[in-house]
Amino acid sequence: MMELRKTLAGRIALTAVATVILLFLALPIVVILVTSFSNNAFASFPPEAWTLNWYKALFADGSKWPAALSLSALVAALSTVFSLIIGVTAATALTRSELPLRSAVYALVLGPLVIPQIVTALGLFLLFEPAAMLGSPIAIALGHTVLASPIAVLILIATLRGIDERLEDAAASMGAGRLTIARKITFPLAAPGMIAAAIFSFITSFDEFYISQFLSSVDTVTLPVQVYNSLTFEIDPSVTAVSAILIAFAILALGLVALVRWIGSGRQDSLLSVENTVGVASHGGEAV
Amino acid sequence: MAALTATAPARPRKLLASRKTRVGILYALPVVVYLLVLFVYPIFSTLLLSLKNTDGSLTLHWYADALTGVNLSVLFTTLRISAETAVLSLVFGFVLAQAISRLKPLWAGLAMLVVVVPHFVSALVRTYGWIIMLGDKGLVNETLAWAPGAPFQLLYNELGVVIGTTSMMLPYTVLLLYGVMRGVDRRLLAAAASMGAGRVTIFRRVYLPLVGPGLASAGLLSFILSLGYYITPALMGGPNQTMIATLINQQVTKENQWNGAAAQGVILLVLTLAGLLLVKAVSSLGASRKKRNAS
Amino acid sequence: MAEFGIAAPSVKVAGGKSATATGKSLSVVALRKTYGDVVAVDEASMEIAAGEFVTFLGASGSGKTTTLMMIAGFCEPDSGTITVGDRDVTRLAPQKRNLGFVFQQYLLFPHMTVSENVAFPLTLRGVPKAEIRKRVGETLEIAGLSGFGGRKPRELSGGQQQRVALCRALVYRPPVILMDEPLGALDKKLRDQLQVEIKSIQQELGLTVIYVTHDQEEALVMSDRIAVMRNGLIEQFDTPRELFERPKTPFVADFLGAANFLPGRVEKHTDEHTLVRLDNSSGLLKARRHQLASGTEVKVAVQPGRLRACASDDGFCTGTVETATYVGTLVRAGVRVDGGQAPLLRLEVPAGRGPVAGERVGITADPDDVNLFAGEQGG
Repeated sequence: MMELRKTLAGRIALTAVATVILLFLALPIVVILVTSFSNNAFASFPPEAWTLNWYKALFADGSKWPAALSLSALVAALSTVFSLIIGVTAATALTRSELPLRSAVYALVLGPLVIPQIVTALGLFLLFEPAAMLGSPIAIALGHTVLASPIAVLILIATLRGIDERLEDAAASMGAGRLTIARKITFPLAAPGMIAAAIFSFITSFDEFYISQFLSSVDTVTLPVQVYNSLTFEIDPSVTAVSAILIAFAILALGLVALVRWIGSGRQDSLLSVENTVGVASHGGEAV
Repeated sequence: MAALTATAPARPRKLLASRKTRVGILYALPVVVYLLVLFVYPIFSTLLLSLKNTDGSLTLHWYADALTGVNLSVLFTTLRISAETAVLSLVFGFVLAQAISRLKPLWAGLAMLVVVVPHFVSALVRTYGWIIMLGDKGLVNETLAWAPGAPFQLLYNELGVVIGTTSMMLPYTVLLLYGVMRGVDRRLLAAAASMGAGRVTIFRRVYLPLVGPGLASAGLLSFILSLGYYITPALMGGPNQTMIATLINQQVTKENQWNGAAAQGVILLVLTLAGLLLVKAVSSLGASRKKRNAS
Repeated sequence: MAEFGIAAPSVKVAGGKSATATGKSLSVVALRKTYGDVVAVDEASMEIAAGEFVTFLGASGSGKTTTLMMIAGFCEPDSGTITVGDRDVTRLAPQKRNLGFVFQQYLLFPHMTVSENVAFPLTLRGVPKAEIRKRVGETLEIAGLSGFGGRKPRELSGGQQQRVALCRALVYRPPVILMDEPLGALDKKLRDQLQVEIKSIQQELGLTVIYVTHDQEEALVMSDRIAVMRNGLIEQFDTPRELFERPKTPFVADFLGAANFLPGRVEKHTDEHTLVRLDNSSGLLKARRHQLASGTEVKVAVQPGRLRACASDDGFCTGTVETATYVGTLVRAGVRVDGGQAPLLRLEVPAGRGPVAGERVGITADPDDVNLFAGEQGG
């Protein structure tokens, strides 16, 4: 608000404070990335010597990490598929049709994003426990879809709203049937949004902790639950390497979404614009 | 289409309105059925369970349990930590959003990246990062080794928890406040200055009223989101920082005390919904103020 | 329409239909559309001949776009029928009507190149690849877009994009092409240029075109016939010349000719003329013969360009020149008529012989240029 007359001192002060806050956000992540290569994986920074042992230990005999990783990947893949099916149909209904009770449907979709996840998880536990489905990857994937599908719906609503509906009219005026319009016009234009929806659904499920913890059994433990367990119960130094991999994975996913958005927007704005990063965030901003 | 704006919707696509309605219902069906079965019904059965005695009769004693003794103090701890988190993430978020909104586009983009990337890294991982950093031999204590009293106890107490939860909430408040600040017409501030208003007056009388509703919603939202937090308090706090989510988790996984957990879940749900209503009230207040300004 | 002959030599004389005409006739009978209590289109009927260029002209809310949307199939009429050639299309979905549509917003498919956009309707019709390539090339050449085929729409200017949209509607030779203010988003110079191009293509290919605009000049320049619409009604459906010279309602006289209106009363008839006594004026105004009883209250309508200044006792009325504005080839004058409260009479006279402010003048007009409307006719 003080840009009317910027004083040098004010600017320096603001920049300094902002830098500290940015460090506050970034440092925990940087520290993990660095520590994962340190010979002392526990709480010593900066490292005294470098090693790849923790990464090697992940795949050593008797390690629990490969099983957790593959379970998480399976569950995330399943809930991505579920979320996309739900997302495409729901976004079509909410943007391309005359839907009675539209706002009620919309509120229902937003529900899982605003209700505490522990409550959702508890409810799902009460649903699946009597059905003896605890520990079933399907049950966990169904649970994750409750959180991931609203994100997919929101992204796809934004995507479909961004596509001029009259393009579909134009195609119809030339004689294209509804299926042809969907295949030749709407789908290619919505593809970047669908990829973004898929990535965010995947990462939401992959990182999800509450539902996984409530629905897991001794034999089926997802990656985040395994990380949590090794932070509380067992002392497993490899958790640092796993964390670093999870960070790399998140950055990769975000980069991919930004790239897809950039290509989809016709390269009109730069890859590193505020709008792009904020847009990426609002895409999946509800994911915790 | 311009010819129709006065008399009809901008796009006269009324053809087969009933067919469009049928298509809409058909396409809305998957999401509605899915969320009714896997979201609404489970919450409903949680509510039922919280009202049921072990013999099946109706009772309120699970709520009485949840609101007395240790459980009540856990509830207060939850509210306290959430409030502290909300205030801190609001203040830090305000400063950071303010700074970013004044940066050149490239720098603003980079700063936003630093805000957004952590947001998508699992909270579990970020919490672990803090544990490494705040330990006796962690980065923070190593840096402060010269200070009297070092090493400081930064973990397994309330300070640790609030540091952790604040860093989890900060991306939300920054993104929300950045959007609010971008919505402020900067010419209004210049106009106020041209009438002779000083900086403090402009800030207090013009800027704050404009961003006020946005600030309030952001603060409330981070408060609500903190209420149900589990990971950070459980890993970074001590016994005195047990929050309600931790309690729910313990009752289900360790004590098989589902009814009690259900009651606490419902209390958490009610608190959240109350907060959301407040957010809505605040934002409609903001909207009406904006409308009044415009007219 | 002389400007066509100059600007586009290939254009055939207006009205002379090309031998290779591809357009079909279109008829609309008693078409009606309401939105709640608002009647958007009220019993519109018209016959459009094959190869004809027809414009729906009117202000916002006149019903011109709704009528076009009903013909296109994007909007369902409450009642009435639409026939293309001899095929009733009233209840068909847009994609079954085989019409062409050019939108104001171009609506090119952003993910396709120019060639792919133009090829799209042909692909839908299963035209062989080689044939598609040939026809797309030809069509782009007609529109002066050869060499732009590989570009994406966003790399083109607004005018070029609208040319592509035009090609896309032309390429499959639809029997009728509908255009909804296609030049509305372009600047004046480009608009003038494209008007000529569209008209010349239409004549060359013998297309039936229905064109919607709110711009009178555009309608006059392009159309074989114009339907002037107001409040959901077709006020008059006629050639530009008829509309301009023989408006059937005061609205048309005002909308197209920006006519001056003077109140008066029919005094008597001669063999060729109707004589009108203007209110507050001693002079008699001579109009061409109208079928109106003596004593009828009338509105006299004369366009500014058809009024002449003359010696003060030669005209049907006298007045004082209040304003005289030089606007290039013309002088626009405002004359305060003696004894009347009527607004300033607007005159357009060739520059050089124009009156000057303060001058006393008489006003006269050729009887053939004077239109009379019975008093009860709304204006």
